[in-house]
Amino acid sequence: MDTVFAGEHLLPGKIGQFFVVLSFGSALLSLISYYFASTNKLDTAWRNLGRIAYSLNLASVVATGCCLFYIIYNHYFEYHYAWAHSSTTLPVYYIISCFWEGQEGSFWLWTFWQGVLGMILIFTARSWERSVMVTISLSQVFLASMLLGVEIWGIKIGSSPFILLRNAIEAPIFSRANYLSLIPDGNGLNPLLQNYWMVIHPPTLFLGFASMVVPFAYGIAGLYTKRYAEMVKPAIAWSLFAVMILGTGIIMGSFWAYEALNFGGFWAWDPVENASIIPWITLIAGVHVLIAYKNSGHSYFTALFLIIISFILVLYASFLTRSGILGETSVHAFTDLGMSGQLLFYMLAFVVLATYLIVINWKNLPITKKDEDTYSREFWLFIGAITLTISCIQIIVTTSIPVFNAVFGSKLAPPTNPIAHYNKWQIAIAVVIAFVSAFSQFLKYKKNDMRKFYISVAVCMVVAALLTSVAVYLTGIYTNFMYILLTFAALFSIIANGKLLGDAVKGKWKLAGSAVAHIGFALILVGALIAAATNKVISINNTGVGFGDEFAKSNNPQENIILYKNTPVKMNEYMVTYKGDSTSGVNTYYKVNYQVLDAKGALKEDFNLYPNAQQNLKMKQIVASPDTKHYLLHDIYTHVSSVPLKEEEHNHDGHSDDENYDEPITHQVVIGDTVRYKEGFIVVKGINKNVKIQNLPLTASDVAIGLQLEVVTPQGKTQAEPIFLIKGNNKLDFGKKLDEQGLKLRFSNILPNKNKLELTVYQKQKTERKDWIVMKAIVFPYINLLWGGTIIMVIGFLLSIFRRAKELKVG
Amino acid sequence: MKRGSIIGIIIIAIAIGVIISTYADSSTYGSFAEAKEAQKELHVVGKLNKAKELFYNPQKDANYFSFYMVDNKGTECKVIFNGTKPQDFERSEQIVLTGEMKNNSFYATKILMKCPSKYTQDKVEVTETKAQPNI
Repeated sequence: MDTVFAGEHLLPGKIGQFFVVLSFGSALLSLISYYFASTNKLDTAWRNLGRIAYSLNLASVVATGCCLFYIIYNHYFEYHYAWAHSSTTLPVYYIISCFWEGQEGSFWLWTFWQGVLGMILIFTARSWERSVMVTISLSQVFLASMLLGVEIWGIKIGSSPFILLRNAIEAPIFSRANYLSLIPDGNGLNPLLQNYWMVIHPPTLFLGFASMVVPFAYGIAGLYTKRYAEMVKPAIAWSLFAVMILGTGIIMGSFWAYEALNFGGFWAWDPVENASIIPWITLIAGVHVLIAYKNSGHSYFTALFLIIISFILVLYASFLTRSGILGETSVHAFTDLGMSGQLLFYMLAFVVLATYLIVINWKNLPITKKDEDTYSREFWLFIGAITLTISCIQIIVTTSIPVFNAVFGSKLAPPTNPIAHYNKWQIAIAVVIAFVSAFSQFLKYKKNDMRKFYISVAVCMVVAALLTSVAVYLTGIYTNFMYILLTFAALFSIIANGKLLGDAVKGKWKLAGSAVAHIGFALILVGALIAAATNKVISINNTGVGFGDEFAKSNNPQENIILYKNTPVKMNEYMVTYKGDSTSGVNTYYKVNYQVLDAKGALKEDFNLYPNAQQNLKMKQIVASPDTKHYLLHDIYTHVSSVPLKEEEHNHDGHSDDENYDEPITHQVVIGDTVRYKEGFIVVKGINKNVKIQNLPLTASDVAIGLQLEVVTPQGKTQAEPIFLIKGNNKLDFGKKLDEQGLKLRFSNILPNKNKLELTVYQKQKTERKDWIVMKAIVFPYINLLWGGTIIMVIGFLLSIFRRAKELKVG
Repeated sequence: MKRGSIIGIIIIAIAIGVIISTYADSSTYGSFAEAKEAQKELHVVGKLNKAKELFYNPQKDANYFSFYMVDNKGTECKVIFNGTKPQDFERSEQIVLTGEMKNNSFYATKILMKCPSKYTQDKVEVTETKAQPNI
């Protein structure tokens, strides 16, 4: 039975699905064509066919993206992807973020970048085009298959972004022809992703991941065509490009976490973060060994291994984050789409291919039999790379605990304090890396004049030691030996590379890129160390209010503090006041004022922060985002942890005001009676028969009586006169609100039979104050060294890329 | 001995060190009963008991949150968390706690929730848009 569904737009999905299939087919054709082209150098027909197929592939990937964008942009919620990741209230610029919130969209991004990189290679790789494009096309076939969404022999291959909602989910409403009219809006984008960094971070990261395939493809092509040594030069240039982009993407993610997430930091060793940094580290190591090989002829296999394993680790990382295997260990992995088998197959295919090619070429590989000189640059480049590899192994082992559990059926849990666990190893490794990156800059390839070397190193070390003592004193990290050591090593690296940069300015321009990148890296180390080691929660709740007995026993600092509106609280040198909230779109901004007064009481600093929270009334939850005041030398970071839910405040519309009060208590009184309530008592003084009510003319037959009351509280006495009215046949009454006392008094009835008057007392709930926030504030000292170091490192990479690209043209 | 082999041995030694350290630092998944015996930090997986009260009153103490969780073996225990109530807590499907048992209460230092969050949940929210009389 075919139901005709009303209001569906099936055409864009059908076109999109057509292009998905076309991109798979064209990638396959490109693979076959380039394979045959690579076996015969003289042939041009296969090569041209490969070029056409690859261009067609890129065109269909772009067309797929356009269809998906069209669907999301027009809010066609009949499509699962649009329904699951967007909503009509979303601003246009975040529609781009919806695009890669889901797995399908991020695969699309990856295949798009790989398509673009392949096109660049077609135009620039010249003699390498055929062999390199075989690998790229193969990878493109795998990525295209991830979006297919077809079932063959009962096996689901890929997940299409064009699947219809009614096919993706089973629900009774889909049997109705007009089901679409019942789905007014999509699920929307996760509020945490509604941040400008989320528009730019994923494309950068995926360009980084995608570009890792290029050095890999050169490595494979070198083996395949037996041009072992020749592949090194282009591999260096492309590896530098990949590490620059991936590094930028990782830091953007870290900056996003710092700016938009409320875990209060920039790096948490979460498995998803680790998954992105592992291939970066191995490829950084790879670049160094490639350079060592190019200049000295040593370490060919290590270089080849590192560029191959880097890409394999990209695939492993995507398996970790996309298969759902991280499950309980990660906060932000993707959910399982049932594609873990396919992802594993993708990875294993490349592992097998690379292993096979290495084994059959083993005897011919240019591997030197003799050792490098211990005092040579190539040896220390190698040692540096090995140290990086060890760093990587440590991260992989701990991150892979869930994988070991899955393979061996064990039940290990990750460390209870992952940050301390990772830091223990990584700080020591960082010390070694920083030292090596400093002194090896004074070594030349092969033979060295050791006297000159020792003098330069000694001078730099003395300067570094002096600076270190100042730095650790200023930042207060002198209590930890490893921190001092890392600061020293990083400063040593900055000075040594700074000296090299000085020489570069005098004319040795070739080394400028490396010097700048190493300075940037050392700054990142110092910045991350200081910010992570000395960041300080200033919102310490030491008022002792409400500490339970069982609570006092645990001596953890109380890091969240409650602020009532317009009641200043002192936090360190800051006088912090919550000033009220304002709502803009879906976000509620909480205005928090910070002031610093000097000794005389004059205002030294005065600024407002607007941490925000998105409230979801239906689910009674908030999603909070921090706001940060940036200074040159430190940041003040603030986020709300808990706020009163808006829902409670809006009782006035549509509901009776009485909900703000406790259950009313009705008293039958006569004049002279006293009525008690929680805070005091009410005396019935008398009745007033000459009541005038504003805007309500009374006729002779109407009866209006005021009840004269005196409210007595410890603070004083207040008069109140609620009114009872009989107008025509209706009984009415006008209650009296006493906001200060939190009372509402109603003269609700007259009981002539009993000769009594009815007084109804409403009392406000004591906990009613809604004008508060619970917030946390952290000071991050010297965090700009981290961000600044990143920018310097990227500039260093750029300089190096220009140099290597030039060499590539000359060579 | 060649220097290459010495470096190789050092790497292998460090790699073994890494694995041992990971194993030593790694925790275990357990139940409340095991937590009571172990007297050290471990992970407990379970579900929130939604019938019992979640206590978080920031006006009294902004850093005290308590609730009842039923572990995978069916034991219920009071959990005390030194912090604010995590967002979306009521809707959590599964909770992974890190912490230790003291005086028959579990003191959590970390709470990880798996939520059928709005953003991953495949449950269609239906709004009836019947013609309604305007009031």
